[in-house]
Amino acid sequence: MSSPSKVASGVTGEPLGRLLGVRKPLSARARFWVGVLAFALPFLSWCAVSYVPFIWHPQVLVSNAGNTNIPGEYSYVAEGDRIDLDVFVMRNRELSAAHAALAQGVRVNPIYLQAPHEVARAMYTAFTTPPERAGDAWLHESLLQSCKVIFWGFLWSALFGVPLGVLCGTFPFFARLFEPFVDFVRYMPAPVFGALMVTMLGLADEPKIAIIFIGTFFQMVLIVSNTTRAVDASLLHAAQTLGANKWQLVWHVVVPGALPGLYRDMRILIGWAWTYLVVAELIGEKSGLSAFIYQQQRYRHFDNVYAAIVIIGVVGLCIDQLLAFLARYLFPWETGQTGLVRMMRAMRRAMPQRALVRT
Amino acid sequence: MSDDSIKLPSYLDHPPEVAAYFAEVEKRKVVLSIEHLGREFEGAGAPLVALSDVNFKVRQREFISVIGPSGCGKSTLIRIVAGLEEPSSGIVAVDGVPVTGPGADRGMVFQNYTLFPWLTVRKNVLFGPKMKGLRDDKATQAADEWLKLVGLSDFSELYPSQLSGGMKQRVAIARALANDPRILLMDEPFGALDAQTRASMQTHLLRIWHAADVTVLFITHDLEEAIYLSDRIVVLGARPGRILEIIDVPVPRPRSLEQFLSGHFLATKKRLEELIHRCDSPLDEASELEHVG
Repeated sequence: MSSPSKVASGVTGEPLGRLLGVRKPLSARARFWVGVLAFALPFLSWCAVSYVPFIWHPQVLVSNAGNTNIPGEYSYVAEGDRIDLDVFVMRNRELSAAHAALAQGVRVNPIYLQAPHEVARAMYTAFTTPPERAGDAWLHESLLQSCKVIFWGFLWSALFGVPLGVLCGTFPFFARLFEPFVDFVRYMPAPVFGALMVTMLGLADEPKIAIIFIGTFFQMVLIVSNTTRAVDASLLHAAQTLGANKWQLVWHVVVPGALPGLYRDMRILIGWAWTYLVVAELIGEKSGLSAFIYQQQRYRHFDNVYAAIVIIGVVGLCIDQLLAFLARYLFPWETGQTGLVRMMRAMRRAMPQRALVRT
Repeated sequence: MSDDSIKLPSYLDHPPEVAAYFAEVEKRKVVLSIEHLGREFEGAGAPLVALSDVNFKVRQREFISVIGPSGCGKSTLIRIVAGLEEPSSGIVAVDGVPVTGPGADRGMVFQNYTLFPWLTVRKNVLFGPKMKGLRDDKATQAADEWLKLVGLSDFSELYPSQLSGGMKQRVAIARALANDPRILLMDEPFGALDAQTRASMQTHLLRIWHAADVTVLFITHDLEEAIYLSDRIVVLGARPGRILEIIDVPVPRPRSLEQFLSGHFLATKKRLEELIHRCDSPLDEASELEHVG
């Protein structure tokens, strides 16, 4: 540990020590670069495995099978095959024993590990060229379809889950009435309702939305109710001594008090909705990104599979970052970001009748 | 005190102006009356008696402090008056009407500020009037008056998280007073503040009390604070919490910091110390532990 005087005098003896301080907040610059590193590290590892031949590359892509007339245990090796390295070596032993032309090939990774440039190309072509088979969905159509299912599933879930959770967190009566059963259902994996939902709601989007609903709703009730319960009881007492009645307590203290926490909960839960999406879209008539992935996997177009997976990640990250960004302005009392409030105040002040009140 | 200490007057000797003051107070209307108040908690085995047979009255514009060692039930007392807890026996009445629950007639200032973090300072002060359904413009004007009185006019658009502890507590006082309560209940309101802020807040509170027509019931464990602020001091003893004595403070008003060294002030302080230390047995460490919240 460096002494305080050392730090104050600007002696930078232990940069690593400062980065790895116990519960020591990072500087703004360090935060940025470590955040970049968070994505750069996995990406660089991927590049290394893909492009540096001696790291992995356990297979050989045969470019020339050599003399295919030579019989042997490994005579099935043909041009264009992806075979294990030892098979390739054994075949060449057979060929060299017969003094025939040797097979040739390049070392490659298995088909399921695509290089970054291949995935990038796949993403580009998926958006720019029509699907291989007429009638198949474009990638962006699949993406939109998925977003639609998520949106409705999550909206319905929040529409019922948030009020019910707030009710449970506010009135112990309702908590006792609903929470035991909700707790019971929450342990049932949402996909087990798939067959039922298809029978009830058909093959289109409805059963998929229902699965997302089931997957998030029951968790949401419990999480929301806990967040609501966490509102400081002394605020309720203060409001009561200021004359608030029961419903005013709920509406003017419990709800605004829980709001920032509820917003955080929704950010987490929307991530859960994406995890249920993949199962939901494969029931009934397959649709969305999951159908795209499923189909591309059957064609063994793993570059496309990766492209779709990466897109799910990117969309999720964007939604989360957007929500985090909005939170800074939605809850200025927590973040000190009063820009939005100041703007609204200025607009109100611009109206003549309000100008009288403010002096 | 040793024998060669300065000769103090008796705390029961009232200077003429103080005697006249109390005679005048006696004529005023009773705002709060507490009769045979008792409170027991279900403990392991025998019930724990927090308050036993507490009786006193608070008259219009009086400033009453309740003081006592920790575990004497002073917080329980004020919470029962506020209606946040129910008594096991006895009656609390405001203007003769028994208290059945919390209400706007008894404004309260808590030790831990309890400002609504999502509301600006002005909107916090406006909370009570808004609950009553008062019109915005008029209530806003009144709220701004209160903020001016507590010296926070320039901070009305800030959020509580942007204020210091002393400022927060001034907002809490303004918020309680803006609701026009019959009595202002203060539960160790300056307990969380540092010594200097605390001293200035005490002076500030006296100014507000002079400026506004308000009756105050003030809980504290600080002897000097109680003497400096109050007309009368209710001294509670611990286990069971009961009234040991109600002291009419012989220090003339207006109060000032110089009076801290006056004979009447010191005599009262000495008496309070005697009363408090009498129930300060070594066993009281246990009661410190029990005293939660």
